[in-house]
Amino acid sequence: MTETVLALEGVSRVYGEEVQVRALDEVTLDIRAGEFLSIVGPSGSGKSTLLGLLGVLDLPTSGIVRVRGTDATQLSDAERSRLRGEAIGFVFQQFHLIPHLTATGNVEAALLYRGLSARERRGRALSALEQVGLGARHDHRPVQMSGGEQQRVAIARAIATEPSVVLADEPTGALDSHNAENVLQVFGDLQSPERAICIVTHDLHVAHAARRKISMLDGKIVADEILAST
Amino acid sequence: MRRLRELLGVAFSGLTSRKVRTLLIMLGPVLGVAAIVAAIGINESSKGHLKAKLQELGTDLIVVNASSGLGFGQDPVIEAAAVARVRRLPDVVAVTGTRQMSDIVTVPFAGAEDYYRAFPVPVIASGLDLPETLEVPLVSGRFLNDFDESSGARVAVIGRDLADEYGYMRGESRTIELNGVPYGVIGVLDYVLLEPSMDSAVFMTFTSAMDDWDLEDPDPSRLYVRAPTNTVQVAEEIPTVVSLGGPDGANASVPTDLLDAQSQVDESLNNLTKMMGGLALVVGGVGIANVMSISVIQRSSEIGIRRALGHSRGTIALQFLFEALAIGVLGGIVGAGVGAGVVWAVADARGYTMVLSVVGLIGWALVSVGVAVVAGLYPSTKAARLEPLETLRLG
Repeated sequence: MTETVLALEGVSRVYGEEVQVRALDEVTLDIRAGEFLSIVGPSGSGKSTLLGLLGVLDLPTSGIVRVRGTDATQLSDAERSRLRGEAIGFVFQQFHLIPHLTATGNVEAALLYRGLSARERRGRALSALEQVGLGARHDHRPVQMSGGEQQRVAIARAIATEPSVVLADEPTGALDSHNAENVLQVFGDLQSPERAICIVTHDLHVAHAARRKISMLDGKIVADEILAST
Repeated sequence: MRRLRELLGVAFSGLTSRKVRTLLIMLGPVLGVAAIVAAIGINESSKGHLKAKLQELGTDLIVVNASSGLGFGQDPVIEAAAVARVRRLPDVVAVTGTRQMSDIVTVPFAGAEDYYRAFPVPVIASGLDLPETLEVPLVSGRFLNDFDESSGARVAVIGRDLADEYGYMRGESRTIELNGVPYGVIGVLDYVLLEPSMDSAVFMTFTSAMDDWDLEDPDPSRLYVRAPTNTVQVAEEIPTVVSLGGPDGANASVPTDLLDAQSQVDESLNNLTKMMGGLALVVGGVGIANVMSISVIQRSSEIGIRRALGHSRGTIALQFLFEALAIGVLGGIVGAGVGAGVVWAVADARGYTMVLSVVGLIGWALVSVGVAVVAGLYPSTKAARLEPLETLRLG
């Protein structure tokens, strides 16, 4: 039995006070090490809310979010931040690279405040950039790179900390089809028995690159399927 | 320690990536600290200069000016007999009278008549004890003596500036023409701090003034009185001793009082400058808070991604606080440097000895740091409170 890296237990998220919107309703979900899954659903189905809760960027109104078995809802902000930094890597649709830093600097940002020396930080950042095929562009700034390259820097940043799970929000949404294929290929290559990959998308082509597909509608999981190998 | 270095690195990277904005924010603390340091430094240097002046003059010199009596149309004078009365006062050790002559054109060297007619040199009939009373030495030759006085010899002593202008060399035998009458130059008087006009003056005896220039009597218009003890009391007694209750009067003053008053005026001006500097610091602080608050909004995406990467709210707050700190430290150092430069320039231009307290410099630089940190608290807190989900705009 593989380890559960992320788990939601009866999680609900309600926004607003006077006018309440139930974005997520009693969701229970396990993500295990080595899994490659996609979360699909139409706009407003609760995908982004689910991703925020899985990434401990947000807290549920009710229910429990476990990261590597720890109930993240009971932790202080500093403890939760540390857990997030150690266990979870993020890739966003808009890349969200820090514009004034080089590719190495952006990847190194994920390795700050972990007791690493500058040399260790740089070594790990370069290694992550090599993994996504950008070793030669390590000293370029985001503005000097194409969208696909920027997204690969973002992926390098997500994996540099060797997290248990990489959460990707529409990672190909801002890319042309050629670059989207490249990025999907990189995600495929990143699969390992220790690391889970979870992609939130509305693109069924992207969703089918994964082994497991979770479909959402109106804040609930309506299907959880294992896909045949492509 | 490593964490601190990393925080500083991130803060500096944030500042250097927006150099113009950083320089503009830094202007507030720089101007504030520079203004305060300059105000204090100039004040201290000026005070030091005044103190030195006061010490040179001594605090026991009294200046007595003749005031108008009933003789309309005449320059007020102090009768010679009154001078003798003042000399007999118990605490007085030296008295000298002077009288400025008019309508005499001095020509120190040939061909300079037009210039010295336009810019006349003061000609002063002087008592024989002037150097002793003012405690001013001669840089060359001797001062007027009893023989000169009794014989009416055409001899003169000149001030140091005039001697320089004149090209007078020590021990040289030269004459100076007063309305065409040659006078032998017998000495050069050193600088007179109390009466800078004497530095370019010509001094002659009262006898010469009466013989050659139609002075009717040897009555001075001004007395210099040295009274080492009970100076103020002597100064108060002199008008009565001079006039003996009659209509002709005199005003006595201790010139050091004037310098003290000048010092007070300088102090008030400098207090105003310090207040303006303080105001500049406060405005600078508001500027830092304002620009950094805008920066927090502009950098919300960066804050969001750093939060997603595991940086806690505290770390984000510290990052922005360190940016404010760096602005304060750099602003303080640059401001203190600029202020010190201004003090040096002013001291150099005015001939002061530069007085600047290193502790004061560090102190005001630290005030800049304090202002910057306080100003940075609000934007830092604002940055820390940003919700990463709102800034990252998922999906």
